[in-house]
Amino acid sequence: MLEDYFRQYGLIAIFTAIAVILPGSLLVVSWLLSFLRIRPSKPNDVKRSPYECGMELIGDRWPQFNFRYYMFAILFVVFDVETIFIYPWAVQFKQLGFFAFAEMLVFILILVIGWAYAWNHKALEWR
Amino acid sequence: MTLHDLYLLSPELSLASLGMVVIILDMVLRRKGVLAAVSVVGLLAPLAFSISLWGDLSGEPDGQMVGIFNTLVVDKFSLFFKFLVMGIVALVVMSSVEYVSRLRQFQGEYYGLMLFSASGMMLLAATTDLISTYVALELTTLPLVALAAFLRDSRSTEAGIKFLLLSAMSSAVLLYGMTLTYGFTGTTQLVEIFERLGASLDATVPFGSHALFLGVIMIVAGFGFKIAAVPFQMWVPDVYEGAPTPITAYLSVASKAAGFAIILRVFYIGFGEISLDWAALFAVLSAVSMTVGNLVAIAQKNIKRMLAYSTIAHAGFLMVGVASIAARVPVGETTLGPSGVLFYLVAYAVTNLAAFFAIIAISNRTGSDMISSFAGMGRRAPFLAIILAFAIVSLLGIPPTAGFMGKLYMFSAAMKSDLAWLVVVGVVNSAISAYYYLKVIRVMYMVDPEGEEKIHVAYAPQAALYITALGILALGIFPGPLMTVAEKAVAVLFR
Amino acid sequence: MLPLDIAFWVMAAVGVATALAVVMEKDIFRAALFLVVSFLVVAGIFVLLNAEFLAMVQVLVYVGAISILIIFAIMLTRNAHEGNPFNSFQLPALVLSTMMLAAIAFVAVNTEWHDWDQLGLQVLPGDSGEVFSATEQGIKNVFGNTTQVIARLLMRDFVLPMEAASVVLLAAVIGALALVRENEGEA
Repeated sequence: MLEDYFRQYGLIAIFTAIAVILPGSLLVVSWLLSFLRIRPSKPNDVKRSPYECGMELIGDRWPQFNFRYYMFAILFVVFDVETIFIYPWAVQFKQLGFFAFAEMLVFILILVIGWAYAWNHKALEWR
Repeated sequence: MTLHDLYLLSPELSLASLGMVVIILDMVLRRKGVLAAVSVVGLLAPLAFSISLWGDLSGEPDGQMVGIFNTLVVDKFSLFFKFLVMGIVALVVMSSVEYVSRLRQFQGEYYGLMLFSASGMMLLAATTDLISTYVALELTTLPLVALAAFLRDSRSTEAGIKFLLLSAMSSAVLLYGMTLTYGFTGTTQLVEIFERLGASLDATVPFGSHALFLGVIMIVAGFGFKIAAVPFQMWVPDVYEGAPTPITAYLSVASKAAGFAIILRVFYIGFGEISLDWAALFAVLSAVSMTVGNLVAIAQKNIKRMLAYSTIAHAGFLMVGVASIAARVPVGETTLGPSGVLFYLVAYAVTNLAAFFAIIAISNRTGSDMISSFAGMGRRAPFLAIILAFAIVSLLGIPPTAGFMGKLYMFSAAMKSDLAWLVVVGVVNSAISAYYYLKVIRVMYMVDPEGEEKIHVAYAPQAALYITALGILALGIFPGPLMTVAEKAVAVLFR
Repeated sequence: MLPLDIAFWVMAAVGVATALAVVMEKDIFRAALFLVVSFLVVAGIFVLLNAEFLAMVQVLVYVGAISILIIFAIMLTRNAHEGNPFNSFQLPALVLSTMMLAAIAFVAVNTEWHDWDQLGLQVLPGDSGEVFSATEQGIKNVFGNTTQVIARLLMRDFVLPMEAASVVLLAAVIGALALVRENEGEA
């Protein structure tokens, strides 16, 4: 079993380790170097702004977002969950045969009604 | 899966399709008034299928037809609840017509969600598998959450949020309980759970095993939430008060009926081996629910809140029947506990619906749910007042009403199961409940009205009122036929 | 099995730490981000348990969708930057969750869990319908291909709950959209 794991997840583990260690160690090294005075520390307003070389910031940190974002989020979650059901079906599509195909058709058709409902009530439009 | 499987599923299937048709019609049609009619007339399809299935059952040797890979069972028990749910839906839709016309543009959603929820309840009564049970329970609850928040004022929104959070919580607890059961038995099928428990229980531990101990308690907690039993009742008053009144009516009877259907099936079939353990649990919950519900109801000024606490108390009365499992011990003895529950559920449904329908009609006009606003209704709305008074008498359990017969069956089942203490608690509680129930009648007849304007009721709600009032009277005088059917229905629980 | 043990303990520690951070963190936006990490770690633990499909679901739905929904909800909330209001239920919650943990731990340790052999169970049917017995090979066949086995279960044995789930989703779409609707007359 163990070799299986390494074959399948070894790369992911190595990738994750590098992704954590590399930026982490850079931060630590930079912090350590500041003690040796190798890394200068001369803060000013421009440097301390969130986007040093980007747009000027406008407005509050916490603006009111349009609540329509929420509609999209809800629809996204629902159809994401739908994907969960389609995924195993797709994996076994050939073996499962016509019966499962019909099943999935019904499943999706029912959700199409929800989609049509959202469309009909202009939830998909940006106003 | 064959065509026969689809036929077995046809009541649920046609009901869910009806919900979809209503939603689609709502998108297409301009005149929303049609939707209520479509919802009621469309119920004829599941009704026809259910009647046909009931007829087919007589040809089956063991009184049941199992389909869709053992996840669905058609027996008289599940059909009994199908008829009950359909009746409740039809009546609630009829009584909603006037109320919902205020919503103008969201009537399709209102009726559609109600039908989805009803299809979930039907499925709940007809599954023999824990996974299907869970999904059916979600199908029952989720549309009701949306409906509870449907008015979108602050009360209604609060009701929706509380309902959503607590039902999610209770679902989680329920699932954990099911997981433990599955972990212990290795199956989600109720019948197989029963068989495997028989082989693997340890008599020295309560509930036969530590895992089952925790699992069963968690399952009871999860279901207890749905039937509004203490200590899982926190959501009830706020949701009942904030939700649209027809939805409150629907919630109080249909949701409760479905909850008891699944409790009876899961515990009597799945956990039959450890019946004495959970029967004690239900007996205690029953006593606590009755007492807490009735005591807190006394202080209520809002009639919806009062009925919310009354519904908690009635959940307690119903659990008396669930706890009366020892009634099955003597051979040939009647199966009075569960069949009494079925009778009580129908009696409670007609009674509570009658009360709520009268309240809807009155508060539609007065715009208030306060008990004080019912002053002088005996003069302003003699017809509504008499039906409300009659329903309250039935809730209280005075003959000749359905409520009286229901309590009679409950208490005699408890006596047969050596639960005399529970009967005493129940009788004392009935006496306590008289205090707050009769207060409403007193306000209606003895206090002077605030205005003289008469209250008129539209045609459809009036019909619903007549049907429920007749039901209370008929069940109170001729309980026999329904009881016979209930006896037949619960036979599948005792095999 | 040492590497797997290390992987488990690292993930378990991170999972518990982030879960605690979700509850304790004053800034709810940061709490939401900790929640994402905690979801991700749970996915990792699912992988260790040979439940690859669940891990995929966890990443797709929880890490991907639910966390977005939560973050949107926070961004849409007025006064959210004022942070978590003081919660007077902290102590009761601590007591309750400790008791819950104790109960579950007690049950997990003390129950005589049955092996599949003892119960005489059959493992699930294979590709061509043959039934694996509860032998090591049979278990390996099942746990080596969880997604395939789940697909067969979902599309065959549990087709009823699956189709019911689609109705639940439909009801969720309709209910949610009906509740966040604008009154069309006003718009």
